[in-house]
Amino acid sequence: MPDDMTSGMAYLVDDDAAIRDALPWLLRSRGIACRAWASAEAFLADYRDEMSGCLILDLRMAGMTGSELFERLLERGCAMPVIFLTGHGDVPLAVNALKRGAFDFIEKPFNDNELADRVHEALQYEKNRRRQDGMKAAVLERLATLTERERQVMEHILAGKLNKVIADELSIAMRTVEVHRAHIFEKMGVRSAVELAQRLSLLGPPGSR
Amino acid sequence: MTAPIATRPPTTNGGQLWWWLPRLSILLFLAAIITLFWYLERSDREEKHATLISDMLWLEQNLRFLLHHNEDLFGRFDPQRIGQRETFQAHVAPVIASNSGVIQVLWLAPSGERLDAYPPVSSAPSTETAVAQAGVQRLAGSVAHAVYGPPYPVGGDWRFEVHVPIFHAGELAGIVVGVYSISRLLADGVPWWIAERYQIAIADPSGQSLGQRSNITEIDTDNAYQMPFDPPGHGLILHAISYRSATPMAGRVIIAGLTFLAALVLFSLWTLRRHVQGRLAAESALQNEVAFRKAMEDSVQTGLRARNLDGMITYVNPAFCRMVGYSAGELIGRRPPMPYWAEEYLDETRAMHEKVLAGQAPSEGFEIKLKRRNGEIFDALIIEAPLIDSQGRHTGWMGSVVDITERKRVAELARQQEERLQASARLITMGEMASSLAHELNQPLAAISSYATGCRNLIAAGAPQNEIDGAIAKCQEQAQRAGRIIRRIYEFVQRQEPKNESCDIGLLINDLIMLLDGDARRQRVRIQREIAPDLPVWQADRILLGQAILNLMKNGIDAMAQTEEAARVLTVRAASFAGQVLISVADRGCGIGAETAAQLFEPFYTTKQEGLGMGLKICRSVVEAHHGRLWFETNPAGGTIFHIALPCPTT
Repeated sequence: MPDDMTSGMAYLVDDDAAIRDALPWLLRSRGIACRAWASAEAFLADYRDEMSGCLILDLRMAGMTGSELFERLLERGCAMPVIFLTGHGDVPLAVNALKRGAFDFIEKPFNDNELADRVHEALQYEKNRRRQDGMKAAVLERLATLTERERQVMEHILAGKLNKVIADELSIAMRTVEVHRAHIFEKMGVRSAVELAQRLSLLGPPGSR
Repeated sequence: MTAPIATRPPTTNGGQLWWWLPRLSILLFLAAIITLFWYLERSDREEKHATLISDMLWLEQNLRFLLHHNEDLFGRFDPQRIGQRETFQAHVAPVIASNSGVIQVLWLAPSGERLDAYPPVSSAPSTETAVAQAGVQRLAGSVAHAVYGPPYPVGGDWRFEVHVPIFHAGELAGIVVGVYSISRLLADGVPWWIAERYQIAIADPSGQSLGQRSNITEIDTDNAYQMPFDPPGHGLILHAISYRSATPMAGRVIIAGLTFLAALVLFSLWTLRRHVQGRLAAESALQNEVAFRKAMEDSVQTGLRARNLDGMITYVNPAFCRMVGYSAGELIGRRPPMPYWAEEYLDETRAMHEKVLAGQAPSEGFEIKLKRRNGEIFDALIIEAPLIDSQGRHTGWMGSVVDITERKRVAELARQQEERLQASARLITMGEMASSLAHELNQPLAAISSYATGCRNLIAAGAPQNEIDGAIAKCQEQAQRAGRIIRRIYEFVQRQEPKNESCDIGLLINDLIMLLDGDARRQRVRIQREIAPDLPVWQADRILLGQAILNLMKNGIDAMAQTEEAARVLTVRAASFAGQVLISVADRGCGIGAETAAQLFEPFYTTKQEGLGMGLKICRSVVEAHHGRLWFETNPAGGTIFHIALPCPTT
């Protein structure tokens, strides 16, 4: 499975030593690196914002439970995908965690490669997310270089108005609008209004920016 | 026993009299004693003084008599005969020798010329005295009777003279001069018994002593007397001071005795007063103590009851009266059986009574049922202690009686509460145990599954054997761990083996309904009970059976979550029927579908989100362990009815 080799890191938090030994072993057999912690508290102490990969949390642990740890991580702005390990009867908890934005939950004992597959997917998702984040950041960077007037003109362009109409509405010369348009396309690194709209759609719906 | 509280006598006039009479009498007594002493002393002094005066009068008379006698003697001298030197001496010598105070006799011619003297004059008298004597001689010659001259000193002694004219045939024939030495006069004229008592002195008008006779120097200047000494006159004074006489021994003894007795009286009065004060203080302390104890007895909530050795009530406090509803008057003097004994427990009560009187009551107290006047039976805790009087005699028994009905009720409630808690705790532990065991079992299984999958992945990737080997060994380890967990489940289930204890189904169901009361109210469910009164008591494990029934009731309540509120009724029935006891729990819930019904008693089957799927399975096991049966049917009114049939105990 060549695609496995490209994967990132999995972070496992489980209070059972056997699981901490067996699960990384399984993941490594699929080419996924894995680090393990014995408690939520220990993991929180080591957590860094720059961590990237997939979290695997046991839902039932002595001390802080997996769902509590999840809440803490959300508070700290962690966006990594989280997979919960659950036992029998923890389903309602797991469902709740899904509603809060967890990536998935897997019931113990696991079926063959189900868990490894889900971890793999989560890592893919994470990779995409980070790439998108990078693109978002680039678009935002370019947006920041626009002048106030250029921003106004850009809004009008995105609304699909013609240069003439824009010139009338802003009470400026048509020629000036053309100059602005050229500057905007150059600064945003696009060649057309359609491409500009695609770029900006990365940032979510208008009004959120 | 209820001694009237003596109050201290109020401080009235009588009280004041009582206070000052002894003090006054003491003072009077002392005054009388002192007065008596003083009076005795004074009368003694007066007597002494009177004696002194009479003695002095006598002495003066005696001296005068002596002087007159001498005058007579001299006057009767025959001038013829005393003119002769040899006869003069014979005449005069006896006078001098006869203790007459005269130390020298002179015979003078009418002209004053000295003719003779005995003892012979050695030296001429000094001029001044000579002049004075000449005057005296002339005077004596002219007045024709004896004349005394003024005193004059001669070498430390004072003297005076008496000039006695001698007439012969109407003519002054000469003058006899008797020279008195004052000291000699005192020595001769003062008898010994006076000299022993007084210091006798003769002084001139200026107070200078001219001579004295004394034996002792210690004198009592308070008792003195003086009188003119005439003859010889010339302002001479006879002066007497009595000696300080030793007070007679008897008087002293009497005075000492009186003083001692007075002191003794005072001392005994003082001690008596102290004693009385002590008594008063003790009395008032006792009164306070009695008042305090009385207040204590009256205020305590504990009933107090004293009985004498025959078992007759001698004292009860208000709390006891309140407890049994009889007044103290009705109880004191009563003998057993007491009015507050409960007829239902008469024998036990009497036995206990006998035990107490025999002194065999348990010292930590005993519980007994007593009856109030209104017929209400109550539980009392009685602690009996022997009553010992001040002489240390055992006079009876004092019992403190505490009404513990309320306490017992509270204790019973607490016990029930505890039992319920334990029951629910045990139910929770069973559920939790099952749940945690399931979770724990998942861990080795998950590990085994992971190792196995990893191995397959590695085999598919063509990995070397040794990598796979370790994982397989770990698989075995985890499988053994799973086995251990399952063994623990067995052990736990074995520990849950039913205990046999007597169990009253009616009471049990009541307790369970109370236990579920909160849940039911939260979910707006009314619980109806229809429990036959004559249910048998039989040997069962209360807790397990309780859990089973409780579980059914909980299921029933949960099943009605979607039912409209008015219809949320859970009916619990219990009745004996055909040699069995039938317990039914009927809900008006959603009922049980056919496909659910088939799996209902399967382990880990649940229709609830939080369910473990253990409840009904456990219920069935419990009922079967009691040789009973658990089944369910559709409730005609909607919902489900679960039935438990238990065989009646064969008695």
